[in-house]
Amino acid sequence: MISGLGGEILWIDMSRGKIEKKTIDEELVNKYLLGAGYLSKVLYDMIPAGTDPLGEKNILGIATGTLTGSMFPQASRHVVAALSPLTGIWGESHAAGFFGAELKLAGYDAIMFTGASKEPLYLNIEDSKVELLDASHLWGKDVFETDDIIRKGHNRKFRTLSIGQAGENLVKFAAVMNDRDRASARSGLGAVMGSKKIKAISVHGTGKLEVADPKNYLRQMDVFYERMMANPFTPGRVKYGTTSLVELMQHIGRLPSYNMKQGVFEGYDKISGDAINAKYFVKARADYSCLQRCGRYTAVRSGPYKFIGGAPEFETQSSMGSRCGNDNLESVLFGHHLANQYGMDTISLGGTISWAMEAWDEGLLTAEDTGGIDLSWGNADTIIKLTKMIALREGFGDILAEGSAAAAERIGRGTDKFVMAVKKQEIAGQEPRAQKSMGLAAVTAARGADHLYAFPVLDEAGFDEDIKKRFGEEYLPEMADRLSPKYKGIMVKECEDFMVMVESVGLCKYGTQIPPEFYYDDIALALKVHNGLNLTGVQLQEIGERIVNLNRLFNARFGVSRKDDCLPDRLTKEKAPLGPSAGEVVELDQMLTEYYDVRGWDQETGLPLKETLKRLGLDGL
Amino acid sequence: MTELKFVFGDPDVCSGCMVCVNVCSMYYSKVIGPTRSRVRVVRIEPALDFPLFCRNCEDAPCIAACPEGALSRTSKGIVIVNNRKCNGTGACVAACPYNAIHIHPDTGKAIKCIQCGQCVDRCPADALFITTTAELAERDKEGRMMALHNEHEDELYEKEAM
Repeated sequence: MISGLGGEILWIDMSRGKIEKKTIDEELVNKYLLGAGYLSKVLYDMIPAGTDPLGEKNILGIATGTLTGSMFPQASRHVVAALSPLTGIWGESHAAGFFGAELKLAGYDAIMFTGASKEPLYLNIEDSKVELLDASHLWGKDVFETDDIIRKGHNRKFRTLSIGQAGENLVKFAAVMNDRDRASARSGLGAVMGSKKIKAISVHGTGKLEVADPKNYLRQMDVFYERMMANPFTPGRVKYGTTSLVELMQHIGRLPSYNMKQGVFEGYDKISGDAINAKYFVKARADYSCLQRCGRYTAVRSGPYKFIGGAPEFETQSSMGSRCGNDNLESVLFGHHLANQYGMDTISLGGTISWAMEAWDEGLLTAEDTGGIDLSWGNADTIIKLTKMIALREGFGDILAEGSAAAAERIGRGTDKFVMAVKKQEIAGQEPRAQKSMGLAAVTAARGADHLYAFPVLDEAGFDEDIKKRFGEEYLPEMADRLSPKYKGIMVKECEDFMVMVESVGLCKYGTQIPPEFYYDDIALALKVHNGLNLTGVQLQEIGERIVNLNRLFNARFGVSRKDDCLPDRLTKEKAPLGPSAGEVVELDQMLTEYYDVRGWDQETGLPLKETLKRLGLDGL
Repeated sequence: MTELKFVFGDPDVCSGCMVCVNVCSMYYSKVIGPTRSRVRVVRIEPALDFPLFCRNCEDAPCIAACPEGALSRTSKGIVIVNNRKCNGTGACVAACPYNAIHIHPDTGKAIKCIQCGQCVDRCPADALFITTTAELAERDKEGRMMALHNEHEDELYEKEAM
């Protein structure tokens, strides 16, 4: 029997209001773990071609990892997945917080929602008591209000996961929020929740996790703790979270600016980590079992952007800041807070607004389209105004709520060439001409443009030793060179396998990939002492590879092939105009060919070869 | 009399990570579970995280409340539970002004912090310390930490259903 788990999966039929508890399938855990792997398998088996992402046939899963709730550093995470309404392909997103651990303590590892309700409901879980309750009093409330009302109505110990108005209004990049300011932001899964009329989940568990090796548990976890605390990255993480990436990315020309026209921003120092710490920083906040506390709590004390709350991340400094040519830091912080409140992905939000700003700048969008709103680069008031209008689908916000790709299709006039997306999802804060691996990663990621599926940060700067350890000396110096396309196919493939596995055990990419402190063997050891699973590092890598292939098969079902694995022309054909990476383009074809080769995928179709599927135990699919 | 020690935490520094909670339940009960832990962490917005422990009251109402005489103070000033005498009446739970003593769901016996320091050693934010009333007054001259505790006492010490 596998230890350290909740033990059951909840199946909630929203159409009939039926709740079913199923014991965890241990064979499945041995082949896919939990989290991303579990959802990949279950949704592959259950979502057929032609499914409407916002129809009742879509299935929304929320799953914790095998180590979620454990004492491993940063073991806080859960995964949300469904067919994405933004991209029409595999949709997946992850968040930290306390929700996942609380769900485990209540006795559950995952919740699967099928069907759709006509009336708004919320799922309330108190240990073995699980009930669907009327949420008409919560519908229309924002994420913070929802959390307040639920906890006041039950008790303060409840953890909540919810959607804000954006999810209710089926904004295509609506987030699933938890613990107030944690976001499973990408893929528009908040809209799937909204389409099923699930306003929230509240959970309180009074149970316990019995671990496989209680005798040695604390001693082993102490070793992991000590390594994490001693890592030279940890103090910087505490001090800045992700916010100092603005300075670092400016330094290598990788800070998306003006809708990714360039990778440097002249106002970078006004939106930097140091600028935040100088005036707005309140506290470093942690999630469950997190030693690095990268969470920022900030405040703007006066003026139109006044707030106090959890904000920001680097991605927002980039998407609502440099990407929109906006150096007004107070608006960036407030914008992040507002996006949390309404429940939206700040990457796609900023990516869509910056698309509109470039189209405006080029004269392709006018005041007639926008209802008189001025979309000049850096107009902070416009960015804030549009954030609200998108969440509530007011005026021009209603078009932008569809995401940049669909909005460009609707507007026409050649605005599609300013869409900085892959498979209709906006590219995150990595200008790939300054880091080639990120260009490939955005293209191969299962959920459309995404930096986290592979999170290939080892060529960012200074990880030569770790590349040597994880890959071998023969790949140096090219693999460590961010501007070289060589070996990036190999690197992205290996990083994907590892990261997808990390999302299946419920750990954070901080500590596993940056800094690259814990690798396969460490996680194998943790799975042994916590879960009693006897999986080797090699087997864990194979599980990661299996999941990536299954995600690809899922996407093939929705029409994806090599033709879709492409970047906007700007990034592959136009040379980066400015900064330390000036003159660079992304050599995508070269990297992609190497990637398909090491993946065992067909060069023409970009789909898994029969022998690859057989080797991974996926034959017949 | 020995100066009474207790564990205390700074709500402005505590990150809310729950490491102390997990260390405690694992150290004493060999499981992970806040209901099996002798420390609680309460998050209050905006930006406060309170790690909460036995305050080692001088008058120790828990000792007086126990009908079985299961609670006593050692020569070092620590209030301990005698598991042979404790039969989980919960009188101590009701008497504690800080909601710092609970009945362990598995053993049915009262559990409380005995200032062992296991969590203090492992706190990643260095938010925890073992102190005395006099030492705390010295450490926190303006009384910021205690004032925050007092300001939020209703939420921090209320005895909830579970």
